[in-house]
Formats: sequence, structure tokens, C-alpha cells
Amino acid sequence: MIQFYEHFPVISVMGLFLAAFLVEIFGNKNKTIRYGISLIACLAAAAMTLYLIIPVFRDGKIISYWMGGWAPEGGYAFGIGYEIDGLGLFFGILTSITFLMSVIFSKRYMERDAHLGHYYTLFLMLAGSVLGLVFTGDVFNLFIMIEIMTFAAVALTAFRHGKHPEALEGAFKYLVLGSIGSSLTLLGVALLYLSTHTLNMAQISALLSSQGFKPTTLFAFAMMLSGLAVKSFVVPFHTPAADAYATAPASVSTLFSGMVNKAGIYGMIRLTYILFRVMDRESVMLLLALIGALTMFVGVTMALAQHDFKRLLAFHSISQIGYVLMSVGLGSVLGLYGGLFHALNHTLFKGLLFLTAGAVYYATGTTNLDKLGGLAKRMPATTACFLVGAFAISGIPPFNGFASKWLIYQAAYEKAVQSGNFVYVIITITALLVSVMTLASFIKVTSAAFLGQQPASLKEVKEVPFSMQLPMFIMSALCLICGLLYRPVLTYLVGPAVSAAMDPSAYIDTMMGSGYAITHGVLPSSMGFAMISAWDPRFWLLLFIIVTCAVTLVAVSDARTRGPVSLPQPGETDAKHATFFGGEKSTHSHVSGSDLFWGFKKDLKGYFHVIGDLHSGRTNDYALWVVLGVTVIMLFTFIFLS
Amino acid sequence: MILVNYIVSICLIALGLYVMCSKRELIKIVIGMGIMDYGINMLIVSIGFHENGTAPIYTLADIINGNLSFFVDPIPQALTLTSIVIGACVDAMALSLVIMIKRRYKTTDADEVRRLKG
Repeated sequence: MIQFYEHFPVISVMGLFLAAFLVEIFGNKNKTIRYGISLIACLAAAAMTLYLIIPVFRDGKIISYWMGGWAPEGGYAFGIGYEIDGLGLFFGILTSITFLMSVIFSKRYMERDAHLGHYYTLFLMLAGSVLGLVFTGDVFNLFIMIEIMTFAAVALTAFRHGKHPEALEGAFKYLVLGSIGSSLTLLGVALLYLSTHTLNMAQISALLSSQGFKPTTLFAFAMMLSGLAVKSFVVPFHTPAADAYATAPASVSTLFSGMVNKAGIYGMIRLTYILFRVMDRESVMLLLALIGALTMFVGVTMALAQHDFKRLLAFHSISQIGYVLMSVGLGSVLGLYGGLFHALNHTLFKGLLFLTAGAVYYATGTTNLDKLGGLAKRMPATTACFLVGAFAISGIPPFNGFASKWLIYQAAYEKAVQSGNFVYVIITITALLVSVMTLASFIKVTSAAFLGQQPASLKEVKEVPFSMQLPMFIMSALCLICGLLYRPVLTYLVGPAVSAAMDPSAYIDTMMGSGYAITHGVLPSSMGFAMISAWDPRFWLLLFIIVTCAVTLVAVSDARTRGPVSLPQPGETDAKHATFFGGEKSTHSHVSGSDLFWGFKKDLKGYFHVIGDLHSGRTNDYALWVVLGVTVIMLFTFIFLS
Repeated sequence: MILVNYIVSICLIALGLYVMCSKRELIKIVIGMGIMDYGINMLIVSIGFHENGTAPIYTLADIINGNLSFFVDPIPQALTLTSIVIGACVDAMALSLVIMIKRRYKTTDADEVRRLKG
């Protein structure tokens, strides 16, 4: 007997797609109908997804749903199946929160644009595709959903091309790189089908376990991993993300950072933990953790060099995804807890920050930090919400970012102690450093946009309407709740997702009939959530001593060449530097709010020049980055996994 | 010979990637995306191919008379059809973006379409 709620996943996905077409048919003229359909579809989908918490999270059920009733025959899956386990539902919840907040925000934020019927159509397609992606149990269906997602995302990026022609450029780069990613995923799916003759994820997992890894399977793994990595925008595939997030409307950027790159992360977790079950191998852990560490470092250093509010947030989004991937890649229970909790928190605080950026754009018409200033007095609610988001992303207690980052540090440090591999020590220190730089960068935004002198052009600025404030307030409240009540959140929300990822045998049995996993050699895993050495304060003391020594060493070793004050060198071309120290040309400093850390940037200008030049903006270069990344992943897979 | 198909499709994928990395003209980049897609489609069709296989269509009479023979795997063909449709849409969308870029930037050279950088 099939329970009624078992239809909810497919109804919520199909409802969003249906509403997308209804908007296109009936809503192009009438804005009430258009918005009404969108809001009802989003509310219904979110409500149905949230309702699934009761059976899946509380009762520990896994919902399997075969389209048209095509259940497996004789141990072979023929139909397309949806399967909702803890992991899928966890990301489904993130998706629901994001599109619900964004649709409320869109009502007033998008009111000045034309062709809003198309906007809501694409919006609902994007929401439906991500929800379908996390619910599906079929690899080809996953590819289809990825394609719909990329399509809708690209079209939404270019939505404001009338006012901002750069949006076209961002969309084109996103489309080219996104299509490479989709093609790689499709290649991986095809090769998986070649070696297992099925497309069902549960069956693939069981068959791969019984037949072992062949070169074809390894190639498929490398291709799918790089394809999904392109979708989650980790370094070196991150380049289109910055352009697309920065030029899309803020409500769409919220969707991107809240659910589109989470969909990629979800795919990578599903691939490594459940499909191929390779997370017990040190080499895969090292690969994912290194990609994650590189992503967070490159993301945050690029963010320090930005002058545009949304582009800065985009690079922070990349950097935070690095945290998630690094922590998930550690392969430990603690790492999964930290990574998934950080994914939830990132959805909340980064969504909030993009919404505040949207509010600033709505009120002032610009997101250039050099032109903003002193908004705190004019827009107190937005400023308060922004501060909550900034504190959360920088990891300041009692906000949610602190709780998850604390878990991530512990997981990375635990890994370093357990494996004795020095690379993990470096990764732990990187994670701490990146957090500091995140804080620095948000101090810059706060001082540039919300504090300081108010430019004459911003005298007439008014606070945004209530319907735009409401989602910001809800997100702020959720940030605070997740930070204060982190224990229940970890136990009741993150915990089921972690156990689903660590134990694929239940997933396989639900889909293929009980006993299928055991006969193919997939054993149920026992997991313990033990904070082994990470709680030991002595190790923390040791770590802090090491970090302090390292910083001191670097400072001392460099002191002779640099001197206490870096006076302008002869032949200095940076006028800012000359006037700041000389004082002859003008009486006040030219250092504007967005240049708060120019001294730091000047000291490290070698690095910043190189990394800035690498982000050249040329589509060819970005494609080359992707090819290089794919090559590295492929070589790594073949050398260390076979 | 099925091996030829595999080699050619991998060559097509590599060629597509090469075009995307080296050609500065935006239209050529779109063509590169297309070539990569064709390579993958060819690979998928080749995966389902069997020498001397028939179409996977049976009537009741075939089953009763025992005329069942070896048939070509239909699933990859279905996948290829889907993927061709998607590929056509991607190309159409990319080309429409190029047209818009040409209108606003007055160029289709990737070296000049780079206002977003750094």
C-alpha cells in the first residue's frame, strides 16, 4: 500500500514545471495571475518537501517511487525511479528554503523590469530542476535535470541585459563552461551504462561493488566527478560563477548560491559516497580535500580584490563551497557533519547577503562599493540583516557560521592527527586563515557600503518595502537559530543525511528489494559520531602555537627587506600610494572604503597580480582551466584508484 | 568495426575541447560545443550497438515461433535522441547570446568580450 505522502516528491517537482508553463500561457499580461501562480507553486512544493521530514527524518524511512509503476523485474531496474533518502531530502530542504525566500523577495525587487512572465517561468524551471535533481534515483534523469538547471540559470543570468550588457557576457561564459560540464557528466553516464547496463543509481552502486573497478568505470568516475565539479564551481571550474552571480539579478544570485552550486555538491557526495563508494580510500579524500582547500583560498583572496558588492559575494560563495567540499572530502563522520551543516548555513547566510545586496541595488541603483557609503542611517533594517549575514559567514559566535566552521576545523584536525599526513595540517591552517580573510573582507564591505560618508547622490535613498525585508528577516532569524540551537539541528536535520551518506545498503535495498545489497557485497556500515582527539585542548594549544610561530617566522624573516613602514619606492606609479604617504598632492587620503586593505594587497601584490591575470575574462582561457582541471582529476583517478 | 567508433568519438570530443580552448571567435566556440556533443552522441549509440542485431521490436508471433534473435540495445538510442535535442537547444541558446553580444559589444572576438575580469 503506497502512502499518500510518497507522491509528494514527484508532485512538487512536476507542480513547479507545470506552473512554469501556466505562467507562460496565462501570466504574460496579468501580474496578479503571474505572481499568484508562482507563489502558490513555490509554497506548495516547499510545504510538500518539508512535510517529508516526518517520514524520512523522524521515522527513518526511504521513499522509493517508480514512474508509471515500472518496478524492477528479476533484479534489473527498467523504469525511472525517484528515491528520497536523508541526503536527498536534506538538499531538498535547502532548495525549498532558497526558492521560497527568493520568490517573496522577487515580487517588489523585479517590479521595474519588463517581460516578467519569462522571469517567473525560468525561475520555476530552475527551482523544479534542482528539486528533481536531488530527488531522482536515475543517473540519466540527473543529467537531464542538470541540463534544465543550466539552461534556466543561463537565461536568468542574462535577464537584465538591457540595463547591464555585461550580463550577456556572464551568461555566455556560464553556458560554454556549463555545457562542457554537462557533456562530461553525460560521457560519464554513458560509460557507466556501458559497464553496468543500468541507469538506476542503487543498482549501479550494487553492481560496481560486486564487479570491482575496471578502467571504463574509473574513466566514468573521473568524468562524472569533473562534470559535477563544474556545476558546483570549485577551483579551477569557478570562473563563470563570479561573472554569472555578479551580473544576474540578486534574487537569482540567491538561487545560484543557495541551491545551484549545492546541487553540484550534492551530486559529488552522491557519486563518491553512494555510487562508487570510494570514500574509504585515502587518495580520494586527499583529492577532494585539496580541491576544497584550493577553492576556499583562491575564492577568498579574489574576494579581497573586488570592488563590486555582488562580485565580492560571488567569490565568497566559491570560497565557502570550498569549505563544504573540503570537509565532506575528509571522509569521516565528523567531516560530513561539518560539511553538510556548513552547506545548510551557507544557503542561509549567503542567501541573506545576496538579498541585502539586492536591497542595496533596489534602493541605490548600484552595487559598486566605491560609489556607496553611509547607508546604515538610511536603511537600518537592511544594514542589520547584512551584519547578521556578515557575522555568520565570518564565523563569529553565536551565529551559525561559527558552529559549522568549528566542526570543520575539528574534522580537519582530527583527520590530520589520525592519518599523520602533513597535508591535512596545512589544510586546517588554510581553513583558519581563510576565515580570518573572510572577516577582513566583510569589514571592508561594511565600512564601504554601510558606514562612512554618504555620497551626495545617495541622499534620497529610502528603506526597501516590507515584502523585501521579510525574507531577509526570516533568513537572519534562521541564521541565529541554527547558531544557537546547533545541537538539535545537527541531530535532527544533519544527522539523518549523514547516516544516509555513510550507509548505502539501505538505499540500495529500498530501491531494488531487500537483500539486494548484501548479495552484491555492499555491507551495512556502522558509524560512530565520536569526536576523538579533536576535543582535546592540548592539540588546540599545539595548533595555535604552530600557527603563531609560523606567522612570527614569516613576519621576522621578511622584516629586513620590508622595514617597518613601506615607504614609496622610487618609480612608484600607484598615485594612491604616493599621496597617502607624501601628503603633498592632496590633503586627504585617496583610499576609499573598498580599498581598506590596500596596504595588505600591496605587500602581496605579486600574488594578487598573478591571480588577477589568471581571471582574464577570456572564454578560451576559462575553457582551458576546465580542461586542465579535468586532466588532473583523470590522471589522479587512474594513478591512485586503479 | 566498433573500435573505430570509439576512437572517432573520443577524437571528436578532444577536437571540440581544442576548438573551445583555442578559437577566439565566439561562433567557433559554439561550434566547438557542438562537435563535443556529437562525439558523445556517437559514443552512446556505439555503446548500444551489436553486430548483426535487429531492431528491438517483437510481435507475439515471433515469441511463439521462437524467432527471437539478438537485438540492438534500445536504451542508448533513446538517450542519444534526448541528448541531441538538448544539444540543439544549447546551440540555439548560445547562438542567440552571441547575436545579442554582437549587438551590444559590436564584436564577437573573445579577446574583446571581457569586461568581467579580475
